[in-house]
Amino acid sequence: MKSHYAIAIAMSTSLWFGGLAHGADAAADAMTDAQKAALHKTVETCATCHGVNGRSVSPTFPNLAAQQAPYIELQLKAFKDQSRADPDAQAYMWGMASQLSDATISALAGYFAAQPAPPARGGNSALIAQGKRFFEEGVPARQIPPCASCHGAHAEGMAVFPRLAGQHAPYLLKQLLVIQSVLRTAPVMHGVIKDLTKDQMQAVVAYLESI
Amino acid sequence: MVRRQQRVCSSRLLLQWVGVVLCVSLASPGWAVPSFARQTGMACAACHTVFPELTPFGREFKLNGYVLDNIKQVTGIDTSGAQTLALNSLPPISLMAQISYTHTSTALPDPNITGALAKDGDLLFPQQVSLFYAGKIADELGAFIQLTYSGVSDSFGFDNTDIRYAHHLSFGGVSGNDHSMILGVTLNNNPTVQDVWNTTPAWGFPYSGSAVAPTAITSTKIDSGAGGFGQNVGGLGVYAWLDDHFYAEVTLYTSSIRGGNHPLDSSDKIVTQGAAPYWRVAYEQRWDRNSLEVGAYGISAHTHPGNGTALAGPVDKYTDVAADAQYQFIGEEHLFTALATYIHESQTLDASVIDKFAANTDNNLKTFKLTGEYYYHRKIGGSIAYFSTSGSSDALLYTPGQVTGSANGNPDTNGYILEVNYLPWLNTKLQAQYTGYSKFNGQKTNYDGSGRNASNNNTMYLLVWINF
Repeated sequence: MKSHYAIAIAMSTSLWFGGLAHGADAAADAMTDAQKAALHKTVETCATCHGVNGRSVSPTFPNLAAQQAPYIELQLKAFKDQSRADPDAQAYMWGMASQLSDATISALAGYFAAQPAPPARGGNSALIAQGKRFFEEGVPARQIPPCASCHGAHAEGMAVFPRLAGQHAPYLLKQLLVIQSVLRTAPVMHGVIKDLTKDQMQAVVAYLESI
Repeated sequence: MVRRQQRVCSSRLLLQWVGVVLCVSLASPGWAVPSFARQTGMACAACHTVFPELTPFGREFKLNGYVLDNIKQVTGIDTSGAQTLALNSLPPISLMAQISYTHTSTALPDPNITGALAKDGDLLFPQQVSLFYAGKIADELGAFIQLTYSGVSDSFGFDNTDIRYAHHLSFGGVSGNDHSMILGVTLNNNPTVQDVWNTTPAWGFPYSGSAVAPTAITSTKIDSGAGGFGQNVGGLGVYAWLDDHFYAEVTLYTSSIRGGNHPLDSSDKIVTQGAAPYWRVAYEQRWDRNSLEVGAYGISAHTHPGNGTALAGPVDKYTDVAADAQYQFIGEEHLFTALATYIHESQTLDASVIDKFAANTDNNLKTFKLTGEYYYHRKIGGSIAYFSTSGSSDALLYTPGQVTGSANGNPDTNGYILEVNYLPWLNTKLQAQYTGYSKFNGQKTNYDGSGRNASNNNTMYLLVWINF
């Protein structure tokens, strides 16, 4: 069934990428004071857009606080090798990631993953209720599995499946749209959401911003 | 060389939902530079709404000293491990070119033959070409340096320059990181060129304009018109930017006149006595896709009029105090900006009265500018602006003269600007700009004493502006 299919994907990819999470923790523990100072300076640059402690003001820039470290690593590497090529990736992140070493990427991922989660934001309660249903049950009529099966029951994420809880709704909507149109290369997600309608997207992102 | 232009606008209100239009005096434009794009690897849209106006990130980039870099560096360290060099392997050089066409409602008189008219419409190919070095010089030290060829004066010279050092500090609270501050030093040659909001004169609207249309007889010292210091000064200042909210700066300026006699002497005009302090405070609040800034700024200067008189004895005193506000909405599809500033200048002209350059010891001058801008997808949009300068009448300061003079000795000039821009690419702007005047140099009709009306100076300006 659809949920088993989704879980199988989740398990296989998390086994594949799971090692990255351990790598990030180990890197953080091994940092010298000089490395910590250098990391702090790098974080200051990220904070210009992504906010102090990874909570951004403008929804153009996603919250990074409490994001899954393996996911952050994957995205920074995808910006660096330009395999993630949606418009905002090109405009902002290709430059920002181009000179980052693997060690810095790992340290940044660990830093932001350790930040307290961003606060929930309320919204249209009917839309949120509808979005919660999509998140937990999927859209069976369109063969769309529940988002929760990969992203976690509370949208907290798991390894390379990103945390969605507390993320800016306009940012999530934009990602769903660029993934659907393949402006952003994400084959697994594309397969999952290719038949999701914009109305359904707006409901689910409203829910995710509210938790 | 930079030729400063002034705009004079009528006071007729426009029935537009954005607001009224206001003309602004304009120094040589050209702030947005692909140099920064080459250094940061980021597209124009990261730092600019539509060039040259800055986004919050663009303001942060400038306040941080232009040093954010994402390209390979040439580096050096000393034996203690401290960095001694961090140079971009690729120099952040860029160029801009402007080709323009100006048409005034009534052709200007030919100054060489009484009664004859000059050509009706002026093509400037180019109006201006500028070369920029804009970016990092060393760790925490960066610069915006512009060299400009003017198609009007057919000469090449130094233009807007801001060299700055910026140091980042974190302090306060349990972790010692609760507050963040940038402390910086700026060395620049044009009051407000160092500012990061688009309300202050050096970076204010209009960002481009005709280099040949008639311009108002005067402006305040801090403004970018005929009365302004503009690039005739150099200054050294310090600034602080706290928690992405509070800005404060003091910069001391003194005269630095390119092409004048050096040391400056009686043949130069408006030479500062001592240092002229410039000050600036601002508060910015950001939420979602919005930012709102309110602030104040000003300059206080004692000057010798020069212009044939010795740089000694009594001085003229100018005190400018101004307020400004800026609102920006940067959406996925729609961008909107509102800009406003009001400048009040008190003049105590002891020296000019003695030298018979002015009739009154005490004059004042006030300028108000209000602009609304809208863009769709950073591709098409435009602005509506209202401007007004008004001040004391002074028969010796403002004398009659064909086109540029004042028949009634009054400097009042007001009107509006309408501008439409199409940007086929982020670094290319195709512009149509119309400036309408209801008052020019004191009057609506026969303002110059030779029969020219304010509306005769209404200007249609077409521009191709490319940056690369």
